[in-house]
Amino acid sequence: MKTKKKSFRRFGVSFILFWSLIPIYWVINTSFQTDAQISDVPSNLFPPTPNLDNFRALLVGDGELAHLVRRSTINSFIECISASVLTVLLATLAAYAFGRMEFKGRKFFLFVVVMTMAFPTYTTLIPMYRIMAFAGLVNTYTGIVLCYVSGFLPLATWILFTYMQSLPSAIEEAASVDGASRMQIFRLIVLPLTIPAIASTAVITFLFGWAQFIFPLVLASDESTQPLTVIVAAMQGRHVVPYSLLSAAGVIALSVPAVIALLTNRFIVSGLINGSVK
Amino acid sequence: MIVKKKVDFLPYILISPLIVFIVLLALTPAAFTAVLAFFRVQPLNPPSKFSGLENFRDILQNQEVIASLGNTFFYIVIGVTLTTALGIFFAVTLHRGFRGRSILIAILILPWALPGVVEGILWTGIWDANTGVLNSVLKSLNIISEYQVFLGQNKLVTILAIEIVQVWQITPLSTILILAVLQNIPDDIYEAALIDGSGGLKAFRYVTLPLIRPGIAIAMVQSIIATLNIFDQPYILNGASTTANSLAMQTYAVSFQNLNFGQGYALSLLITIFTLFVSLFVAKIVYKKVEY
Repeated sequence: MKTKKKSFRRFGVSFILFWSLIPIYWVINTSFQTDAQISDVPSNLFPPTPNLDNFRALLVGDGELAHLVRRSTINSFIECISASVLTVLLATLAAYAFGRMEFKGRKFFLFVVVMTMAFPTYTTLIPMYRIMAFAGLVNTYTGIVLCYVSGFLPLATWILFTYMQSLPSAIEEAASVDGASRMQIFRLIVLPLTIPAIASTAVITFLFGWAQFIFPLVLASDESTQPLTVIVAAMQGRHVVPYSLLSAAGVIALSVPAVIALLTNRFIVSGLINGSVK
Repeated sequence: MIVKKKVDFLPYILISPLIVFIVLLALTPAAFTAVLAFFRVQPLNPPSKFSGLENFRDILQNQEVIASLGNTFFYIVIGVTLTTALGIFFAVTLHRGFRGRSILIAILILPWALPGVVEGILWTGIWDANTGVLNSVLKSLNIISEYQVFLGQNKLVTILAIEIVQVWQITPLSTILILAVLQNIPDDIYEAALIDGSGGLKAFRYVTLPLIRPGIAIAMVQSIIATLNIFDQPYILNGASTTANSLAMQTYAVSFQNLNFGQGYALSLLITIFTLFVSLFVAKIVYKKVEY
């Protein structure tokens, strides 16, 4: 009985490791090979002569590709950090009202916010483009960030709302006896207690931002605002780019979210659990 | 004397930025879609005018749209089945504490954190007809004698290969959602099952599975929404060919390549209604409140 359980776990653990890591290992492996080496039959399980040429071509020097990759990486950071900060800020304020205050229309507004989570991306794609075009925000950081924020706000609000709601109600009662205003209670008591959920929301929205593709594909028309995903996809679309080089671009694009996910997985897990609509 | 109750403005002030965003950039676009689906909207052929059900008639007679509808059905069936099965399997594996469990969870989360576009690049290295590692492995094992083309030829093989990439991305979320429910099951229920003599598979079938149904329901709804919207992975892995076009890719093609926004709106509206309907349906069937 006990050994059966153990061998089940061993199988499960190996399966999870293999399943999650093989594709990542493989792209790293090919990124250190030359174009000729990746065509070897059978494939090289390790880079025969590991070299950084692919990364050098993408990151250093005056080449067109290097320029594009550097620029779009900076764009990705600017867009994701701005979107994440703005989302967390607005969602925290709203979640405080929804989670800790009674007011008329509270349920209605919360329902509307949650309902928009069920809209498929494509419901808003074309109109979003036209609204941004109307406002003159196509191909600007502002346009892209506003689009991201509107997309991430419902989930962020929901995560923070469920968390704040679960805090004991005694804190406000005690503080208001002491004569603290509600914004003081928010700033001095609720906010510090909510930091884990704020961290979850910040990390999750940053990762969502980093992964965005179709909205920036439509909203960012040139390299001045295009994020890394759009550039990587464009490289793939040009068939002159060999897979060895493409895999190095993949490694660059995955390194940021991978490091963040490994470092903050606790926050991600608790955020995802809080964020699932029950 | 009438005491007028003062309206408390603070909560409204706090939610107003959120509401402005939702109204301007979620509800307005959605309303646009719902209304303009009944208009002829072609940027190259203005002005827009009301056309009743013409867009719907046109897209439902469009062979490519019908084909993408069928493809999307396969994406959903394959995706939801695999993510649910793997999600349950992974969650059960991670259920009890053991050494290295938290590291394993960190690794498990990795595929979820990566952009779909990048995952398309990763899996190109596995599926590719000339350099892919799957071909290399199958040939070394003498299962195939020549390298095979997995993407873009056979429709079902292409859909399966692309959907596996998405399954790789969304299974972590399913696992986490099921695991959260699994960990809330009180231990004495298992002990009771063990005393009854039902261990192992039997305990799983008759004790665990019914109790984690709510988690499975939430996970399945998330998978349905994700698979119904699959875009990034097929765009990268199979962008040039229309063999395995998903509904989302078709919507993009109709709107931004054919520049027929009206039809794009109509298609988006159908997808939205379909998503809400299927999600509610699945939630209703699978989700049953569990009393311990």
